[in-house]
Amino acid sequence: MKFLDKLFEQQTRQLAQRSSRRGMLKTLGGLLVGAGTIPLLPVARAAAEAPGHPVEEGDPGSCDYWRYCAIDGFLCSCCGGSENTCPPGTEMSPVTWIGTCRNPADGRNYVISYNDCCGKSSCGACLCQRDEGDRPPYRPDKTNDINWCLGTSSAAYHCSTAIVVGVAFEEK
Amino acid sequence: MRTVIAFICLLLCAAVAAGDINPQRAQFNYQMSCQGCHAPDGSGAGAVPRMRDHVGVFLATAAGREYLVRVPGSAVSALSDADLAEVLNWIVLEIAGSSVQVAFEPYSAQEVARLRQHPLNEVARYRAQLLAEIASTQSRE
Repeated sequence: MKFLDKLFEQQTRQLAQRSSRRGMLKTLGGLLVGAGTIPLLPVARAAAEAPGHPVEEGDPGSCDYWRYCAIDGFLCSCCGGSENTCPPGTEMSPVTWIGTCRNPADGRNYVISYNDCCGKSSCGACLCQRDEGDRPPYRPDKTNDINWCLGTSSAAYHCSTAIVVGVAFEEK
Repeated sequence: MRTVIAFICLLLCAAVAAGDINPQRAQFNYQMSCQGCHAPDGSGAGAVPRMRDHVGVFLATAAGREYLVRVPGSAVSALSDADLAEVLNWIVLEIAGSSVQVAFEPYSAQEVARLRQHPLNEVARYRAQLLAEIASTQSRE
């Protein structure tokens, strides 16, 4: 019996030395914060798919390229930039018009932001006017007939990009 | 200890409030109807007001809460009442950050339907006046 007493006493003392009184709070807090960070891990994000890099096909230098379904302007791809970037010496407008285009490679609709490049006179190359989903100017956020060089230091329009910013939500 | 309990409660309350939101749909509607001018993270651009870490200030008064629905970008948007309510609640949770100083009661589709019948015509002056009122209420407290 004495042996058991000793054993338990020893075990209890050891446990008391190893664990703190606030340990439970620490673990609980860790669990709460930890559970919240799981969706931030690359594994979870890979499962949700990175919308910035969908599988693609086609020529970004042609008006037929899928991302240009609602474009009205000169392609930056033909003006020293790309479908994602502005040519040197121009500034990308932070204010843009946004629509969706269907990607033929995977059949999904993506959210496209047509950021204009501003600060130089019109590029003049690869004029495209597909205008799908374009609305009259009484819907100013969905019309491409206005100059979208807003919020930039110069309002001179040079060319347009077509950046994938997300995947369109579809009710199942 | 009290702080810890308050913190845990805050986490749980936020989770409950977010219950009605479909984040994918809300973000898509934000992208289609708001992001073009207010920027992907709500930081605004030029004359477009910043929402990030700021928009929650309006929730401090009833008129301010109503303003977020009556502002033309909300009121005359192509979104349905339910979608507009959802995207507003999503903005408060995802973009307003620490600017939300009051317990936030999520917008309902009914509330949004009622308020958007009265869109604002002259926004800039009304907004400035609202912010001044909110600032003076807060300095009195």
